[in-house]
Amino acid sequence: MTAAGIHSTPRGTAPAEAAYPPAVAALRLAWLHAVSRRVPAALGLLAALGVLLWVALHYHWNIAGGPAARMFIPLTIEAAAAAVVAVGMYGPFGELEHATGRWLPWLRLTAAVALTAAAFGALAAGATGGNLPGGSVALLRNIAGITGLGLLAAVVLGGMLAWAGPLAYLLVTEVALAGSPTTPWVWPARPPHDLGGALCAAGVFAAGAVLIAVRGPRESRHD
Amino acid sequence: MTATTGTAVRPRPPRATGAAPMTAARLLRIELRRNAMPLILPLIAALFWFDSYRPSTATPPLYVLRTFWNMGQGHTIVDFGPFVAGVAAWMGSRDRRRDVGDLVAATARPRWAGQLATWAATAVWAVAAYLILVGALFAVYARQGVQGQPPWWWAAVGATAVIAFSAAGFAVGAWWPSRFAAPVAAFGAFLALMLSSQTGFSSFSGWALILPTNSNGNFQPDSGMLYPWLPDLPIARILFLGGLAAAALSLLGLLPGAGGPRLRQAAAVVTLAGVAAAGTSVVLARTARLGPHGIFIPALHDAANDGSISYTPVCGHAAGIPVCLNPAYQSYLAGVTAALAPVAEEVAGLPGAPVRATQVGAAYDPREGGAGQAMTITGSPPVLGMPVGALGLAGAFGWTSGEAAGQYRLLFVHAFTGAGHGPGTAAQRAVQAALLQDIGVPIATQPQLLSSVGLPSWARTGGPHGPPPATGPVYAAARRFAALPRAIQHAWLAAHLGALRSGHLTLGQLP
Repeated sequence: MTAAGIHSTPRGTAPAEAAYPPAVAALRLAWLHAVSRRVPAALGLLAALGVLLWVALHYHWNIAGGPAARMFIPLTIEAAAAAVVAVGMYGPFGELEHATGRWLPWLRLTAAVALTAAAFGALAAGATGGNLPGGSVALLRNIAGITGLGLLAAVVLGGMLAWAGPLAYLLVTEVALAGSPTTPWVWPARPPHDLGGALCAAGVFAAGAVLIAVRGPRESRHD
Repeated sequence: MTATTGTAVRPRPPRATGAAPMTAARLLRIELRRNAMPLILPLIAALFWFDSYRPSTATPPLYVLRTFWNMGQGHTIVDFGPFVAGVAAWMGSRDRRRDVGDLVAATARPRWAGQLATWAATAVWAVAAYLILVGALFAVYARQGVQGQPPWWWAAVGATAVIAFSAAGFAVGAWWPSRFAAPVAAFGAFLALMLSSQTGFSSFSGWALILPTNSNGNFQPDSGMLYPWLPDLPIARILFLGGLAAAALSLLGLLPGAGGPRLRQAAAVVTLAGVAAAGTSVVLARTARLGPHGIFIPALHDAANDGSISYTPVCGHAAGIPVCLNPAYQSYLAGVTAALAPVAEEVAGLPGAPVRATQVGAAYDPREGGAGQAMTITGSPPVLGMPVGALGLAGAFGWTSGEAAGQYRLLFVHAFTGAGHGPGTAAQRAVQAALLQDIGVPIATQPQLLSSVGLPSWARTGGPHGPPPATGPVYAAARRFAALPRAIQHAWLAAHLGALRSGHLTLGQLP
């Protein structure tokens, strides 16, 4: 038996392709991409982190020490939100997905930016629980910068370890804050309107977003 | 067909008594190869260098000071724990995340045994890395000539903490097989450590002593040099962390499909034992007291640890009196003798003047915080006791040799006037100020000296606006006394030192 000579499927053996209007198709593609990245779960976690920030500020959870120490628990929550965004970039399909079309980089970029915006929104809502050191401007700068590090970690280490980037930066910041650093690369220690810190954070976020869009997270056999 | 009598009987194969351990070993070997932990170890090593080693090098070359930051305050645990928890969560969620849970459940070994093999491989990588890095840390310290005994018990606490974080993270991953399990476990661990620090910094006693980053009272100023490291609190923390690890892992054995009824019963027993161990350790911590050599827990305390470490002191001479220190402090001997010499010369021949000065064990006092302790003059013949471990050391924590020498002189004179562990009477303070002026510490600068960091709290005179001026009746009397010829001062002191030390003299009775 051979299939040579068969050039079309027999009638009734395959369903007709659903004809979606372009706008609906684009939305459906974005939704499927979001679901494959567990974006709904990520949004739930970001909301939970917002609640945690509200509780921490409302009940004055503080590390003993000066102003630098007082910002540390909010900073931990901000880094956790950044880690959630970065881990959300992990794609389960690998090579298969690359062959399906040219929209993948845009979908990744959109997901990264949208999740970062959601993280900022959730934590800004949580910040209403008390006095957040640095206010909303510092919150935006910190989330953007640390998320950029998470996206870079996803590119270098893979989606499964993307959270390690924000966590490592948090530890480095903890040590640096004890010594009153002046480098803008430790942007959480800079005043909210410090241009150097803002540029560094924005640069890291831009680099992370571009690289995650173009290259995607590294695929590892350990995934 | 029958088996006739002529058929050779096949020999019975040997019993496979060693099959189970062999399989477990093979399983562990496979899991070690497939584990994700090695991927994160270079990052942990870099952070360990940055966070645990690098800040410690700014402290004097004494183990108790070098390791207070990284072991006493638990920074080695902070460097490892969250990362280990995150990777362990990833490993714990592996099978269900890949939808092969049913497949592995059908294998010959119980599901729980397979999970334990995966966890064990994760923990082996993490603990091995921890021990290697801590070993390297101590080796570097040894090459740098760091003195004293390393805090081995606290290294053991750190290794147990790594096991506990791996177990907790693994359990999170196994219960919640999501890609977000790893960051939740990692940041949850980090936040827990931060809250542990938050509680620990303000808790000097009670249950909070069990927290792995609570540094209150766990490192004494002369631990490992003049007296041994007390193992009481480390043992309690090991019990706590080990109990939590056992409970977290055995909870997985209670899940449906984890194994047969007997295995699940065993898991229930281990869970209860783990919870009991952790609870017992908390109860033990509530009974902890701060002794002169550190935190002791009556139920765990071994009286053999109450003794001092014998040593041959290194000695110098200050104006004729021998000054002896523990050999660990040898590099500070010249500075100490130089600091004491003017005072020893000033009080020589007077009643109660010490005939030698010797180092005594320093003890941490939570009410004093990092402040120093008073010197004492005791015994017959009188001996000056110097708690060097609780005093300023030249070159350490920003002290200059001049500042350290000024503090030693002040404390020597303070002890000589009999002021003890308080500021002293007005007459004692006036004589103290006059004697300090005599040895070259001008009265005008003495308020600044008294306000310097590292002295006992009784010395502090400074407010938010800095040290007060050297005015008032005490300093007026001191100036009057200091203006007298040296011979008259000595004669008066020889006659009135007893009354001065007993606190019976008033300012008006000074010449």
